[in-house]
Amino acid sequence: MSEEQLEPQENQPQPTPQPTSQNPFPPQNGGFGYGMQQSLPNATVVLVLGILSIVFCCCYGILGLIPAIIALVLSKKDRALYEMNPTAYTLSSYKNLNAGRVCAIIGLILNILSLLYFVVIIIMFGTGILSDPQKLQEMLKGMQ
Amino acid sequence: MKGTIILLALFFLSESKGVINWLQNHLLLCPFKQTLGIDCPGCGIQRSILELVQGNFIASFKLYPATLPIITLFIFTIVHLKFDFKNGAFFIKMLYIGITLIIVINYIYKIFTHQLI
Repeated sequence: MSEEQLEPQENQPQPTPQPTSQNPFPPQNGGFGYGMQQSLPNATVVLVLGILSIVFCCCYGILGLIPAIIALVLSKKDRALYEMNPTAYTLSSYKNLNAGRVCAIIGLILNILSLLYFVVIIIMFGTGILSDPQKLQEMLKGMQ
Repeated sequence: MKGTIILLALFFLSESKGVINWLQNHLLLCPFKQTLGIDCPGCGIQRSILELVQGNFIASFKLYPATLPIITLFIFTIVHLKFDFKNGAFFIKMLYIGITLIIVINYIYKIFTHQLI
């Protein structure tokens, strides 16, 4: 019953489709459409992940690599978005994005350094123990 | 929800040191230090935060100098994302670089003064 009642409503002449432009945020006032601007989709996420990457730098350097790489990938996408259409997005979100990118790069470098440091220390311990068989046997006995 | 927050705040601010004492006996062990017996660049932050909660700024600075900047960075980031300051992004960048410098210099200093073990 309800469908039959609804159908005539659907069959009513729809309003003529307005000409949709390709750009959802058409430039107004010479390209400065302040009312239409929105923030970049991933700006805050990139900033938070970039800052988080330094917190986990002590955990073997692997745990901190994950947020840093994610932040870098997301920031690359958003930078491309902004360069496609700079007037559609707010400048402050772009600044946030750039800050997050810098944080992610620094976190990435720090994490890689700590990972390398960890590997070097393990190699030093390993060679030191292997060059002294008696100590090695003592260690193995201690582990049992 | 509000009641629990107020209760927690009262618990921390009250004279009883039950929470802090419990935390001091249940610190997370660093995997780096567990396997090798040497401090990692992040070792000391939990002890330093506990000292900060108790109000000993100097002791917390001696244990881990980057604790206060890290906490200010977190708080500033949250406030900046909420209210959108004019030069907030630049300030966050500078704070971040400063924190990394503090951590690296602190670790090198620890190596040269034999405080790692």
